[in-house]
Amino acid sequence: MLSQWLFYGFATLAVVGALGLILSRHPMNGAMCFVITLISQAGLYALLSASLLFALQLIVYAGAIMSLILFIIMFLNIQPADLPQETGRWGFLIGGSLAVVPIGLLLLKIVRSLPAGETTIIGNGFGHVKSVGLVLFRDWLLPFEIVSILLLVALVGAIVLAGKKETIQ
Amino acid sequence: MIHDYLSLSILLFCLGVLGVISRRNVFTVFMSIELMLNAANLAFIALARLHESMDGHVLALLVMAVAAAEAALALAVVILLHKHTGKVDTNVFSLLKG
Repeated sequence: MLSQWLFYGFATLAVVGALGLILSRHPMNGAMCFVITLISQAGLYALLSASLLFALQLIVYAGAIMSLILFIIMFLNIQPADLPQETGRWGFLIGGSLAVVPIGLLLLKIVRSLPAGETTIIGNGFGHVKSVGLVLFRDWLLPFEIVSILLLVALVGAIVLAGKKETIQ
Repeated sequence: MIHDYLSLSILLFCLGVLGVISRRNVFTVFMSIELMLNAANLAFIALARLHESMDGHVLALLVMAVAAAEAALALAVVILLHKHTGKVDTNVFSLLKG
């Protein structure tokens, strides 16, 4: 019963944060609203008994990635006059929702036709660091290595793109 | 219970698509893409809870790593474009238009 109420609270916070992200004019306000969404999603992961993902969502997403985005927004020092004039924003919003809402309703119908899962109590360290790590390094070793190479390439690419250009004489 | 989580994931994904469609601020578009990745993560973890297997957790972990790489590269490109044009409007960034 408590988990149901917690789910509704976190879900409301997540949707409110997402709405604030797509409706607020300045990207700084949007980023702060998006942090609310990320933290409430971490709460939802904890409700789904994914304790490792709960910690990683808080540390990596709400901590590292969002602080990087906020740092770049502050670094560029965007004044309200520099923001794009989004005159047709509500028109685009209504037109986009005309396209997106039917797809969402179709997906909801698909989800409703799934078999209802019994919410059994699972123990044995489901979602803990050790069990997730065992699955990661036994069954998913090759994707893990590929992702590490991807991170290295992204690091090198970011330095090459944003670093200071020395003009060659 | 699982249906509620999957419905919330669909709702968040649709909000992310709406953000990408309707906004022109490059930061908002970028964070909407991150919102879509997060909605996919929520669906992965809900389905992992349903099937009581931890492959969904590993997939969510990999999605997080890809999102971090994407954030680093996309913000580098945004800095470069802001240096070049001084704007954060996606309509201005049309260098590749033929």
